[in-house]
Amino acid sequence: MLSREEVLRIAKLARLELASEAEVALYQRRLGRVLEHVRELSSLTVSAESSVRHVPADADAFREDVVAPFPNPGALLQNAPHVQDDHFVLPAVLEPEAE
Amino acid sequence: MGIPLEIAGLLEGYRKKAFKPSEAVDAFLKTIEAVNPGLNAFLEVRADVARSQARALDAKQPTDGLPLFGVPVAIKDNFLVEGWKATAGSRILEGYVSPYTATSVQRLVDAGAVVIGKTNCDEFAMGSSNENSAFGPCRNPWDPARVPGGSSGGSAAAVAAGCAAISLGTDTGGSIRQPASLCGLVGVKPSYGRVSRYGVVAFASSLDQVGPFGLTTWDAARVLEVMAGHDPHDATSSRREVPRYTAGLASATLKGVRIGYAPAWLEGVEPEVRARFDEALAVLRSEGAVLCEVALPHTKYALSTYYLLAPSEASSNLARYDGVHYGLRSKDARSGEEIYTRTRGRGFGPEVKLRIMLGTYALSAGYYDAYYLRANQVRGLISGDFFGAFGKCDCIVSPTSPTTAFKLGEKTDDPLTMYLSDIFTLPVNLAGLPGLSVPCGLDSKGLPVGLQLIGRAFDEQGLFGLASAYERARGKFPLAGEKR
Amino acid sequence: MSEEIRDKYEAVIGLEVHAQLLTRSKMFCGCENRFGASPNSLICPVCTGQPGALPVVNRRAVELGVRAALAIGGKVHGESVFARKNYFYPDLPKGYQISQYEKPFCTDGALVVRLKSGEERRIGIQRIHFEEDAGKSMHQSAGSFVNLNRAGVPLVEIVTHPDMRNSHEAGQYLRELRTVLRYAGVCDGNMEQGNFRCDANISVRLRGAKTFGTRVELKNINSFRYVEKAIDFEIDRQIESVERGEAVRQQTRLWDSAQGVTQVMREKEEAHDYRYFPEPDLSVLVIDEAWRDRVARDMPELPEAKRRRLMADHQLSAYDAGVLTASRELADYYERVVSTSGNAKASANWVMNELLGRLNAAGKEIEGSPVPDRELAALIRKVDSAEISGKIAKVVFEEMFATGKGADAVVREKGLAQISDSSQLEAAIHKVIADNPAQTQEYRAGKIKLLGFFVGQVMKETRGQANPGMVNELVKKILDR
Repeated sequence: MLSREEVLRIAKLARLELASEAEVALYQRRLGRVLEHVRELSSLTVSAESSVRHVPADADAFREDVVAPFPNPGALLQNAPHVQDDHFVLPAVLEPEAE
Repeated sequence: MGIPLEIAGLLEGYRKKAFKPSEAVDAFLKTIEAVNPGLNAFLEVRADVARSQARALDAKQPTDGLPLFGVPVAIKDNFLVEGWKATAGSRILEGYVSPYTATSVQRLVDAGAVVIGKTNCDEFAMGSSNENSAFGPCRNPWDPARVPGGSSGGSAAAVAAGCAAISLGTDTGGSIRQPASLCGLVGVKPSYGRVSRYGVVAFASSLDQVGPFGLTTWDAARVLEVMAGHDPHDATSSRREVPRYTAGLASATLKGVRIGYAPAWLEGVEPEVRARFDEALAVLRSEGAVLCEVALPHTKYALSTYYLLAPSEASSNLARYDGVHYGLRSKDARSGEEIYTRTRGRGFGPEVKLRIMLGTYALSAGYYDAYYLRANQVRGLISGDFFGAFGKCDCIVSPTSPTTAFKLGEKTDDPLTMYLSDIFTLPVNLAGLPGLSVPCGLDSKGLPVGLQLIGRAFDEQGLFGLASAYERARGKFPLAGEKR
Repeated sequence: MSEEIRDKYEAVIGLEVHAQLLTRSKMFCGCENRFGASPNSLICPVCTGQPGALPVVNRRAVELGVRAALAIGGKVHGESVFARKNYFYPDLPKGYQISQYEKPFCTDGALVVRLKSGEERRIGIQRIHFEEDAGKSMHQSAGSFVNLNRAGVPLVEIVTHPDMRNSHEAGQYLRELRTVLRYAGVCDGNMEQGNFRCDANISVRLRGAKTFGTRVELKNINSFRYVEKAIDFEIDRQIESVERGEAVRQQTRLWDSAQGVTQVMREKEEAHDYRYFPEPDLSVLVIDEAWRDRVARDMPELPEAKRRRLMADHQLSAYDAGVLTASRELADYYERVVSTSGNAKASANWVMNELLGRLNAAGKEIEGSPVPDRELAALIRKVDSAEISGKIAKVVFEEMFATGKGADAVVREKGLAQISDSSQLEAAIHKVIADNPAQTQEYRAGKIKLLGFFVGQVMKETRGQANPGMVNELVKKILDR
């Protein structure tokens, strides 16, 4: 069972507001339930080699360096909640999180 | 007028001029109008657009170049179709209008298909009952008190209720096959990399695949042969040639085909489902298939493996829903930080939030090795089991779902109870293999049971052949309407 | 701070450079890779992180990355892995950056850097990996304004070992890295445009100490002018801290060029949890030996190799070789002049002493030189063939630079051709002798040092165009008769 602090830490990392103590407790329970079940994997013997490469071997890894403009860049701004001077806008970010 | 519900019937009708595309589409639209209020299978129908596309076809003829000429298709709402909304069953994408069209859908439209509507689904394709939709559950046409399955519940219900001839869904852990089973349809999850994922809202990138629902194997095969194949927009799509899956189906045989089943895997199945499954095995045997036992010792870990890998990838794929560039933005957020947390906290439903947190945890520092990395390694063991089994047989069978359609609300209390709906389908996604569900009978409540066929990678052709031969031996399967 | 105090410490500096690759299109989509376009015009579903969009790797970007790796003598790995770096920021539309983490495509390189003392220092390069650039956020009081034109532009991140010990070494490393990348055609190296960005990791410790001090990350060094200044400020700040008995705090700081100080950007107490995992939308990146060999074969000659060659073949000093190879374009210009004129020494002198200064003053680059290489070579040939004197050549060059006219044209138009016709010269000499009877008598009486006087007069008479060597000879001959 995860601690309340753990749940809050995860919610913060994932940028999910948990609106009430009841909600925190709900996820504490449900996360705990699933994590309890998946614990069975720790008993298995595995090796680095068994890791899966899921992409088909004959997939095409590359594209050529050719400019292919998207025909309607304007449509990409149209779904934005707030646009000004062709920029996406959001209210002042208090804590810059840039790497 | 009796517009046929299957592709071949429609094409023949058009050729013989028994009816026009606009008349056919009109008939399907009327069915939607009649049944959708009770089923909630569709989230968006644009009758005017569908009618005008159909009218444009009226002047043309179905040709080899248009293999889906005038065929109405319903598309799960996690596909982007330019000009149509795309919600993926979530409030966080409310109002989002797609700026481009998914490759798979474009190929159907280029082949003459008419998009008739966007269908309901579990939010972000996470669920096995369509009860996780932000826009209300979808109901099973066989019994509206029951679920159609999920996450592609709407697409399954649409075809089962005669609202479309075919539909598209996505399958990450069973989300096409399980609803197909619960709704009495053929549903196919192709091999990973067989169909482009470009334009499909990502859930778990290494597991998601696009696939068709149809009333028959032939219909599903026709849809797949049109939309499969390499897409330069999808770096995980295979360059392997796409066979004409519909060719030779009429003469496909089960004689001498080696079919494997894993007895240990079959535990925990409802008795009537088990009975229909055993009967299906008997039919296969009587048609000349050779049955053998195979061992899939690690499939019992598929649920744990899946519920670490899929949420991990999802936690990252869903980070883009942040209220900044598109979709919902929380109006009472007081800071940039709150725009993120409040938009996401309120825009996502509980199952999505649960999985995002699960995935965030499994990837976080100090837990990555024990959870994500380990799950990937166990995935390899599960894959290895299938690879080994295919040394002994050409196809592996199981029931598609351990139960028939359950009642709304029956499994929503405990996440794991719901997750267990997918025990037979999950391992197939983990192994990247093709899987097909074909109806094999009804239970005593008159609810459909599905038989799952699993093939070698990129052997969709083999699966279609077997399913087709089985269908012929099984005989006609009723429609949802018929049993009432 | 007194030198005495400063000398007690040594700085330990590591540098991280993000260099934008010179591709036509972005790293994972077909949008144009171009600086300065109108906001949000070079965008598409992929680089704006629309639902359903997928990345596909730009082959040319990988090729340029391999060039960078070979240029710094790095090991190129046959298989490397793209990974997602997960964090939330308005200019990162997907909520993750596609980068490389545990398995970058290149490790174990180095760059040899020449210091002003003449000494050479080998700076180890730990790794080079691919990543995509983020968009640009402008923070104003009203809010953040995001332009995604830059999102998805291909980058290589080049990380050194903490091998530098002072700001000079750091500055020289950056200059050499920039030159190498420009030579290799990998990156433009324009810090002001933001296609060559540098972060420094700086710590201090007492000289002789075995352990490292607390590291501070310094960002926003956005001009070559500020590199040494910013690093020196930070080093001094840390030394002052330690001298005061205060521990240096692990932080990220920004260089503020207006105030000439570093400021705290954020405390690094809680390191970011980026939750790296292999990018599931891409396969393992395969760079096989054949590809690597092709890139190596097609690699242009790099600055250090070029310098050594010029020093050996043209007998240039290390300093001169350094100046002439500051850019590939300049080195190519110089070599073409040599090739056409056949005189390496003269070519070097003319380029360094006459051309570069004038170009600088006019704010021009070598590519915009009003004097093309073949004309400079022609000028040198005229001097070497005695058509004009060296002194006259300087006048001619001035005119060539100002007007863009060729050497022939200027010499002809100004009638500056050297007079080497002996009858013409004799006529002038006779005139000078006739005009200066006193000196003539004195010379013939034995005052032979007056020879210079006569030569000077003849030069004056011929407006400097007489061939000085011939004049010398002929004056002597005539006077001695």
